[in-house]
Amino acid sequence: MFLKVQLPWNVVIPAESLDIKGLMLQKSIVVQLLDEFASRKATKDLGYLLALTTLESIGEGRVREHTGDVLFPVVFSGVTFKLFRGEIAEGVVHKVLKHGVFLSCGPVENIYLSKLKMPDYDYVPGENPVFMNSKMSKIEKGFTVRFIVIGTKWLESEREFQALVGLHADYLGPVS
Amino acid sequence: MSGEEEENAAELKIGDEFLKAKCLMNCEVALILEHKYDQLQQMSDDPRNQVSQVFEKSLQYVKRFSRYKNPDAVKQVREILSRYQLTEFELCVLGNLCPETVEEAIAMVPSIKAKGRVHDDDAIDKMLNDLALIKKFE
Repeated sequence: MFLKVQLPWNVVIPAESLDIKGLMLQKSIVVQLLDEFASRKATKDLGYLLALTTLESIGEGRVREHTGDVLFPVVFSGVTFKLFRGEIAEGVVHKVLKHGVFLSCGPVENIYLSKLKMPDYDYVPGENPVFMNSKMSKIEKGFTVRFIVIGTKWLESEREFQALVGLHADYLGPVS
Repeated sequence: MSGEEEENAAELKIGDEFLKAKCLMNCEVALILEHKYDQLQQMSDDPRNQVSQVFEKSLQYVKRFSRYKNPDAVKQVREILSRYQLTEFELCVLGNLCPETVEEAIAMVPSIKAKGRVHDDDAIDKMLNDLALIKKFE
Protein backbone atom coordinates (compact mmCIF):
# COMPACT_ATOMS: atom_id res chain seq x y z
CA MET A 1 0.00 0.00 0.00
CA PHE A 2 1.23 3.46 -0.86
CA LEU A 3 1.10 5.89 2.06
CA LYS A 4 1.21 9.63 2.40
CA VAL A 5 3.24 10.40 5.50
CA GLN A 6 4.53 13.39 7.40
CA LEU A 7 8.08 12.91 8.55
CA PRO A 8 10.27 14.81 10.95
CA TRP A 9 13.90 14.82 9.79
CA ASN A 10 17.12 16.51 10.82
CA VAL A 11 19.06 18.24 8.07
CA VAL A 12 22.66 19.24 8.69
CA ILE A 13 23.90 22.11 6.55
CA PRO A 14 27.70 22.42 6.41
CA ALA A 15 29.02 25.79 7.51
CA GLU A 16 30.35 26.62 4.04
CA SER A 17 26.88 26.28 2.47
CA LEU A 18 25.37 28.79 4.85
CA ASP A 19 24.46 32.03 3.20
CA ILE A 20 23.22 35.32 4.49
CA LYS A 21 20.37 35.21 2.01
CA GLY A 22 17.53 33.14 3.43
CA LEU A 23 16.44 31.85 0.05
CA MET A 24 19.71 30.05 -0.56
CA LEU A 25 19.45 28.44 2.84
CA GLN A 26 16.05 27.00 2.08
CA LYS A 27 17.42 25.65 -1.19
CA SER A 28 20.37 24.01 0.59
CA ILE A 29 17.99 22.36 3.02
CA VAL A 30 15.80 20.98 0.25
CA VAL A 31 18.78 19.74 -1.77
CA GLN A 32 20.30 18.05 1.27
CA LEU A 33 16.96 16.53 2.21
CA LEU A 34 16.38 15.16 -1.30
CA ASP A 35 19.83 13.59 -1.29
CA GLU A 36 19.38 11.89 2.04
CA PHE A 37 15.88 10.82 1.17
CA ALA A 38 17.04 9.07 -1.99
CA SER A 39 20.02 7.37 -0.37
CA ARG A 40 18.07 6.17 2.67
CA LYS A 41 15.95 3.96 0.37
CA ALA A 42 13.65 2.60 3.07
CA THR A 43 12.97 2.56 6.80
CA LYS A 44 11.63 -0.31 8.86
CA ASP A 45 8.60 1.61 10.08
CA LEU A 46 7.53 3.56 7.02
CA GLY A 47 8.66 1.28 4.23
CA TYR A 48 10.23 2.43 0.97
CA LEU A 49 10.71 6.17 0.51
CA LEU A 50 9.45 7.15 -2.92
CA ALA A 51 9.15 10.86 -3.20
CA LEU A 52 9.20 13.99 -1.19
CA THR A 53 6.18 16.13 -1.94
CA THR A 54 6.28 19.21 0.29
CA LEU A 55 8.50 20.75 2.92
CA GLU A 56 6.01 21.59 5.67
CA SER A 57 8.17 23.47 8.12
CA ILE A 58 11.76 24.34 8.96
CA GLY A 59 12.54 24.65 12.65
CA GLU A 60 15.05 26.79 14.46
CA GLY A 61 18.61 25.92 13.41
CA ARG A 62 21.10 24.78 16.05
CA VAL A 63 24.82 25.38 15.58
CA ARG A 64 27.03 22.38 16.23
CA GLU A 65 29.86 23.37 18.46
CA HIS A 66 32.97 21.91 16.84
CA THR A 67 32.19 22.04 13.15
CA GLY A 68 30.02 25.12 12.88
CA ASP A 69 27.50 23.14 10.86
CA VAL A 70 23.89 23.96 11.50
CA LEU A 71 21.25 21.35 12.22
CA PHE A 72 17.70 22.17 11.15
CA PRO A 73 14.76 20.07 12.30
CA VAL A 74 12.32 19.94 9.40
CA VAL A 75 8.96 18.31 8.74
CA PHE A 76 8.03 17.21 5.26
CA SER A 77 5.37 15.17 3.49
CA GLY A 78 6.24 12.31 1.25
CA VAL A 79 5.01 9.11 -0.34
CA THR A 80 6.11 5.70 0.93
CA PHE A 81 5.27 2.09 0.15
CA LYS A 82 4.80 -0.71 2.63
CA LEU A 83 3.28 -4.18 2.44
CA PHE A 84 1.12 -5.27 5.36
CA ARG A 85 0.43 -8.78 6.55
CA GLY A 86 -3.04 -9.78 5.35
CA GLU A 87 -3.04 -7.18 2.58
CA ILE A 88 -4.20 -8.25 -0.87
CA ALA A 89 -2.25 -6.75 -3.75
CA GLU A 90 -1.14 -7.42 -7.30
CA GLY A 91 2.41 -8.09 -8.44
CA VAL A 92 4.37 -9.08 -11.52
CA VAL A 93 6.20 -12.41 -11.81
CA HIS A 94 9.91 -11.89 -12.56
CA LYS A 95 11.37 -15.32 -11.91
CA VAL A 96 9.93 -18.85 -12.07
CA LEU A 97 11.76 -21.53 -10.10
CA LYS A 98 10.95 -25.15 -9.34
CA HIS A 99 9.88 -24.39 -5.79
CA GLY A 100 7.97 -21.21 -6.41
CA VAL A 101 8.00 -17.82 -8.10
CA PHE A 102 9.38 -14.38 -7.30
CA LEU A 103 7.20 -11.32 -7.80
CA SER A 104 7.71 -7.60 -7.65
CA CYS A 105 5.15 -5.18 -6.29
CA GLY A 106 5.89 -1.47 -6.30
CA PRO A 107 9.53 -1.03 -5.25
CA VAL A 108 9.66 -4.47 -3.55
CA GLU A 109 11.37 -7.15 -5.63
CA ASN A 110 11.77 -10.02 -3.20
CA ILE A 111 8.25 -11.33 -2.92
CA TYR A 112 8.21 -15.10 -2.76
CA LEU A 113 5.22 -17.23 -3.64
CA SER A 114 6.16 -20.75 -2.62
CA LYS A 115 4.76 -23.83 -4.34
CA LEU A 116 3.48 -24.83 -0.91
CA LYS A 117 1.31 -21.70 -0.85
CA MET A 118 -0.31 -22.50 -4.20
CA PRO A 119 -1.08 -26.22 -3.77
CA ASP A 120 -3.29 -26.54 -6.85
CA TYR A 121 -0.52 -25.32 -9.18
CA ASP A 122 2.17 -27.62 -10.59
CA TYR A 123 5.55 -26.74 -11.97
CA VAL A 124 5.88 -27.29 -15.70
CA PRO A 125 9.57 -27.28 -16.72
CA GLY A 126 10.79 -26.07 -20.09
CA GLU A 127 12.61 -23.21 -21.72
CA ASN A 128 10.00 -20.91 -20.28
CA PRO A 129 8.92 -22.71 -17.09
CA VAL A 130 5.44 -22.02 -15.71
CA PHE A 131 3.11 -23.04 -12.91
CA MET A 132 -0.25 -24.37 -14.07
CA ASN A 133 -3.40 -25.67 -12.36
CA SER A 134 -6.02 -28.14 -13.56
CA LYS A 135 -8.09 -25.29 -15.04
CA MET A 136 -5.10 -24.38 -17.25
CA SER A 137 -4.63 -21.15 -15.35
CA LYS A 138 -0.96 -20.18 -15.82
CA ILE A 139 1.61 -18.29 -13.78
CA GLU A 140 4.60 -17.30 -15.88
CA LYS A 141 7.20 -14.58 -16.19
CA GLY A 142 5.66 -11.18 -16.83
CA PHE A 143 2.18 -12.23 -15.65
CA THR A 144 0.17 -10.37 -13.04
CA VAL A 145 -0.74 -12.32 -9.92
CA ARG A 146 -3.09 -11.23 -7.15
CA PHE A 147 -1.86 -12.48 -3.77
CA ILE A 148 -2.28 -12.15 -0.01
CA VAL A 149 0.72 -11.13 2.13
CA ILE A 150 1.59 -13.81 4.71
CA GLY A 151 4.54 -12.07 6.28
CA THR A 152 7.19 -9.43 5.74
CA LYS A 153 10.76 -9.13 6.95
CA TRP A 154 12.98 -6.06 7.19
CA LEU A 155 16.63 -6.58 6.22
CA GLU A 156 18.61 -3.87 7.96
CA SER A 157 21.87 -4.42 6.05
CA GLU A 158 20.26 -4.14 2.61
CA ARG A 159 17.62 -1.65 3.76
CA GLU A 160 15.03 -3.78 2.05
CA PHE A 161 11.90 -5.77 2.73
CA GLN A 162 11.19 -9.35 1.83
CA ALA A 163 7.68 -10.74 1.74
CA LEU A 164 6.08 -14.16 1.68
CA VAL A 165 2.78 -14.35 -0.13
CA GLY A 166 0.14 -16.98 -0.85
CA LEU A 167 -2.90 -17.76 -2.98
CA HIS A 168 -4.92 -19.46 -0.22
CA ALA A 169 -8.07 -17.33 -0.41
CA ASP A 170 -10.84 -16.73 -2.93
CA TYR A 171 -10.25 -14.52 -5.96
CA LEU A 172 -6.47 -14.83 -5.80
CA GLY A 173 -4.19 -16.04 -8.60
CA PRO A 174 -3.17 -14.89 -12.06
CA VAL A 175 -5.09 -11.90 -13.40
CA SER A 176 -5.52 -11.68 -17.13
CA MET B 1 3.69 -0.93 16.75
CA SER B 2 3.19 -3.28 19.69
CA GLY B 3 3.53 -6.98 18.85
CA GLU B 4 4.30 -7.26 15.20
CA GLU B 5 2.87 -10.78 14.87
CA GLU B 6 -0.55 -9.28 15.49
CA GLU B 7 -0.51 -7.30 12.25
CA ASN B 8 -3.34 -8.37 9.99
CA ALA B 9 -4.68 -6.07 7.33
CA ALA B 10 -7.71 -8.32 6.79
CA GLU B 11 -8.90 -7.33 10.26
CA LEU B 12 -7.57 -3.79 9.92
CA LYS B 13 -4.81 -4.43 12.43
CA ILE B 14 -2.05 -2.47 10.79
CA GLY B 15 -0.92 -0.24 13.61
CA ASP B 16 -2.56 3.00 14.70
CA GLU B 17 -0.07 5.21 12.91
CA PHE B 18 -0.99 3.57 9.61
CA LEU B 19 -4.74 3.40 10.20
CA LYS B 20 -4.70 7.17 10.54
CA ALA B 21 -2.09 7.74 7.83
CA LYS B 22 -3.43 8.67 4.47
CA CYS B 23 -3.25 5.77 2.05
CA LEU B 24 -2.97 6.43 -1.66
CA MET B 25 -4.44 4.47 -4.53
CA ASN B 26 -2.12 3.37 -7.32
CA CYS B 27 -3.76 5.85 -9.70
CA GLU B 28 -3.15 8.72 -7.26
CA VAL B 29 0.49 7.74 -6.83
CA ALA B 30 0.84 7.62 -10.62
CA LEU B 31 -0.31 11.25 -10.85
CA ILE B 32 2.08 12.37 -8.09
CA LEU B 33 5.11 10.53 -9.48
CA GLU B 34 4.47 11.55 -13.07
CA HIS B 35 4.21 15.16 -11.97
CA LYS B 36 7.51 14.82 -10.07
CA TYR B 37 9.11 13.22 -13.09
CA ASP B 38 7.98 16.07 -15.34
CA GLN B 39 9.42 18.60 -12.91
CA LEU B 40 12.77 16.81 -12.99
CA GLN B 41 12.65 16.68 -16.75
CA GLN B 42 12.43 20.45 -16.88
CA MET B 43 15.48 20.74 -14.68
CA SER B 44 17.72 18.29 -16.48
CA ASP B 45 17.96 16.60 -19.84
CA ASP B 46 17.98 13.08 -18.55
CA PRO B 47 15.60 12.76 -15.63
CA ARG B 48 16.34 9.07 -15.33
CA ASN B 49 19.66 9.99 -13.74
CA GLN B 50 17.86 12.07 -11.16
CA VAL B 51 15.48 9.53 -9.72
CA SER B 52 16.17 6.69 -7.32
CA GLN B 53 15.54 3.05 -8.21
CA VAL B 54 12.72 3.00 -5.70
CA PHE B 55 11.08 5.87 -7.58
CA GLU B 56 11.60 4.30 -10.97
CA LYS B 57 10.26 0.87 -10.00
CA SER B 58 7.26 2.40 -8.27
CA LEU B 59 6.45 4.58 -11.26
CA GLN B 60 6.54 1.57 -13.57
CA TYR B 61 4.33 -0.34 -11.17
CA VAL B 62 1.66 2.31 -10.72
CA LYS B 63 1.54 2.97 -14.45
CA ARG B 64 0.73 -0.69 -15.01
CA PHE B 65 -1.68 -1.03 -12.10
CA SER B 66 -3.71 2.18 -12.28
CA ARG B 67 -7.33 1.41 -13.05
CA TYR B 68 -8.08 5.05 -13.73
CA LYS B 69 -5.83 7.35 -15.73
CA ASN B 70 -7.79 10.53 -16.05
CA PRO B 71 -7.12 12.89 -13.09
CA ASP B 72 -10.80 13.79 -12.80
CA ALA B 73 -11.78 10.14 -12.66
CA VAL B 74 -9.14 9.51 -9.99
CA LYS B 75 -10.61 12.29 -7.88
CA GLN B 76 -14.12 10.97 -8.39
CA VAL B 77 -13.17 7.46 -7.29
CA ARG B 78 -11.96 8.77 -3.95
CA GLU B 79 -15.01 10.98 -3.61
CA ILE B 80 -17.43 8.15 -4.23
CA LEU B 81 -15.67 5.64 -2.02
CA SER B 82 -15.49 8.25 0.75
CA ARG B 83 -19.28 8.13 1.03
CA TYR B 84 -19.21 4.57 2.33
CA GLN B 85 -17.57 4.93 5.76
CA LEU B 86 -14.46 3.05 4.74
CA THR B 87 -11.07 3.41 6.37
CA GLU B 88 -8.27 4.85 4.23
CA PHE B 89 -6.80 1.39 3.84
CA GLU B 90 -10.06 -0.24 2.71
CA LEU B 91 -10.79 2.59 0.32
CA CYS B 92 -7.47 2.17 -1.45
CA VAL B 93 -7.61 -1.63 -1.68
CA LEU B 94 -11.02 -1.32 -3.35
CA GLY B 95 -9.85 1.46 -5.65
CA ASN B 96 -6.77 -0.56 -6.62
CA LEU B 97 -8.37 -3.93 -7.24
CA CYS B 98 -11.80 -2.81 -8.51
CA PRO B 99 -13.70 -5.97 -7.56
CA GLU B 100 -16.61 -6.79 -9.83
CA THR B 101 -18.93 -8.60 -7.44
CA VAL B 102 -19.98 -8.16 -3.83
CA GLU B 103 -18.45 -11.54 -3.01
CA GLU B 104 -15.13 -10.52 -4.54
CA ALA B 105 -15.16 -7.18 -2.71
CA ILE B 106 -15.64 -8.92 0.63
CA ALA B 107 -12.83 -11.36 -0.20
CA MET B 108 -10.49 -8.44 -0.97
CA VAL B 109 -11.47 -6.41 2.10
CA PRO B 110 -12.91 -8.84 4.70
CA SER B 111 -13.02 -6.08 7.30
CA ILE B 112 -15.95 -4.33 5.57
CA LYS B 113 -18.20 -7.17 6.74
CA ALA B 114 -16.80 -7.23 10.28
CA LYS B 115 -19.09 -6.96 13.26
CA GLY B 116 -20.43 -3.51 13.93
CA ARG B 117 -19.89 -2.23 10.40
CA VAL B 118 -22.84 -0.89 8.48
CA HIS B 119 -22.26 -2.43 5.08
CA ASP B 120 -24.94 -4.71 3.76
CA ASP B 121 -24.62 -6.42 0.42
CA ASP B 122 -26.85 -3.85 -1.30
CA ALA B 123 -24.66 -0.96 -0.20
CA ILE B 124 -21.53 -2.75 -1.41
CA ASP B 125 -23.23 -3.55 -4.70
CA LYS B 126 -24.17 0.10 -5.20
CA MET B 127 -20.60 1.16 -4.44
CA LEU B 128 -19.20 -1.24 -7.04
CA ASN B 129 -21.71 -0.02 -9.62
CA ASP B 130 -20.71 3.58 -8.97
CA LEU B 131 -17.06 2.64 -9.50
CA ALA B 132 -17.81 0.77 -12.70
CA LEU B 133 -19.66 3.83 -13.99
CA ILE B 134 -16.62 6.07 -13.55
CA LYS B 135 -14.52 3.60 -15.49
CA LYS B 136 -17.10 3.48 -18.26
CA PHE B 137 -17.21 7.24 -18.73
CA GLU B 138 -13.53 7.92 -18.22
